[in-house]
Amino acid sequence: MKRAVIIFIILIFNLVFQSTVLQYFRINSVIPNTALAVIISMALLRGRLEGCLTGFAAGILQDIFFGNSLGYYALLGVLSGYIIGRFNHNYYRENYALPVFLCFTGTLIYESAVFFTGAFFDGYLNYFYFLINIILPEAVYTAVVSIVIYRILFSVNDRIEKSEKYKRKLFSIK
Amino acid sequence: MNFFNTYKKQILYLVIALLVILAFFTVGKKTKATPIDNMLGFIVTPAQNISSSVSSWFSSKISSFKDDTNIAEENAELKAQVELLEAENKRLSMYEEENKRLSALLDISQKYPDYETTGTNVIAKDPGNWFFTFTIDKGTKDGLAPDMALTDAGGLVGRITECGYIYSKVESILDSRSSVSAMSLRTGDLGVVKGDYTLMNDGLCKMEYIDAESEIMKGDEIVTSYLSDIYPSGITIGYVKEVITDENGLTKYAVIEPSVDFKHISTLLVITDSFAQSALPEENTPEEIPQQTPADLQNQSSGDEQ
Repeated sequence: MKRAVIIFIILIFNLVFQSTVLQYFRINSVIPNTALAVIISMALLRGRLEGCLTGFAAGILQDIFFGNSLGYYALLGVLSGYIIGRFNHNYYRENYALPVFLCFTGTLIYESAVFFTGAFFDGYLNYFYFLINIILPEAVYTAVVSIVIYRILFSVNDRIEKSEKYKRKLFSIK
Repeated sequence: MNFFNTYKKQILYLVIALLVILAFFTVGKKTKATPIDNMLGFIVTPAQNISSSVSSWFSSKISSFKDDTNIAEENAELKAQVELLEAENKRLSMYEEENKRLSALLDISQKYPDYETTGTNVIAKDPGNWFFTFTIDKGTKDGLAPDMALTDAGGLVGRITECGYIYSKVESILDSRSSVSAMSLRTGDLGVVKGDYTLMNDGLCKMEYIDAESEIMKGDEIVTSYLSDIYPSGITIGYVKEVITDENGLTKYAVIEPSVDFKHISTLLVITDSFAQSALPEENTPEEIPQQTPADLQNQSSGDEQ
């Protein structure tokens, strides 16, 4: 329960940060997808279930405040949490290479999915234009920012896990 | 949690199916925020308000630090401009008076009436790279409703798509989902101003469906036309930057440079009149006639007599 509240606060903080402060840090009008970095970090640290739940919460927040329909970003969030959660089992948490690499490829796939479900149907068939101008820069930017985000979430998760250790395990996640 | 592990796949498929259905049914139709949205809005909106004012304060400090040297020059320039505009304003207000008298004589309603407006602040912008939407700090509490138009000092900004209790979502004219019925002020040619994915990040938009024979050209002012049932007529959208003939040779499109600086929007005006009743166009199209109620007509004629 404590964990859920903390993650939700992090997500709300991320939404506020992304929609206000980060707007001033657009490079060539490209903004990093920090919400996806949070989803990927949580999924890596905690596995599929929490990846899915984090993805859902982050997505539904974006749907409510900026989306055109309810459920679109939530669906993308659930899917990315589920897919990334697979890597939870076999990697060392202290290793930064995997989260950064996954944030890069994850953003590539995520934004390509956004393109092929949105702009593509509007008649913008030139995928490579958008790949070079929006998707790739965003993936690089997100990968760079994800180092910081992963570091923060890593220590937050460590704290929560330590505090949970001493309690009786009512709900063991694994 | 055993339950989740055994039925992992099934639960996932169920969630995906539900979300897909939900997304399809709510696409573009959600104009009122649900109670849950409003509850979240009470948490998120104040936070965004604080965060955006702090960051804009910093940004303005930094930019004023940069522009410090030019201020005196700019001041002189602006003073000259104010004088020019004042003279022009006097002339135009005389025209307005004349126009009023003549319209009263001809018994037609004012084409560009005064609108009731209310000020608002932009508190957050879209966190993605594909769309150009933002939220403002007023909602149904302050009498806003979906489909109200927003303007800046320069011109048209967009329209409200969804209203919460203390916040509203706005779709700007640069967003690819937006389309505005527009008109060239000089030639009267009609078209539709649409957002474009490729032009959006340069702060430009596109005017489509212009007749190939029209004499629209670079520098023409584009305003909202009298055909729209969302946007009041006569609001400046921007200026033509480039005119391009389509591949089929039958229509043209123009690249429009909006008169609003979309990179630095902060304080905006919402036109709160439901203008569909107050500003009837001269040429009534058949669809628009049934919208007139007898009361409206009475109001209008009484307005004209004054």
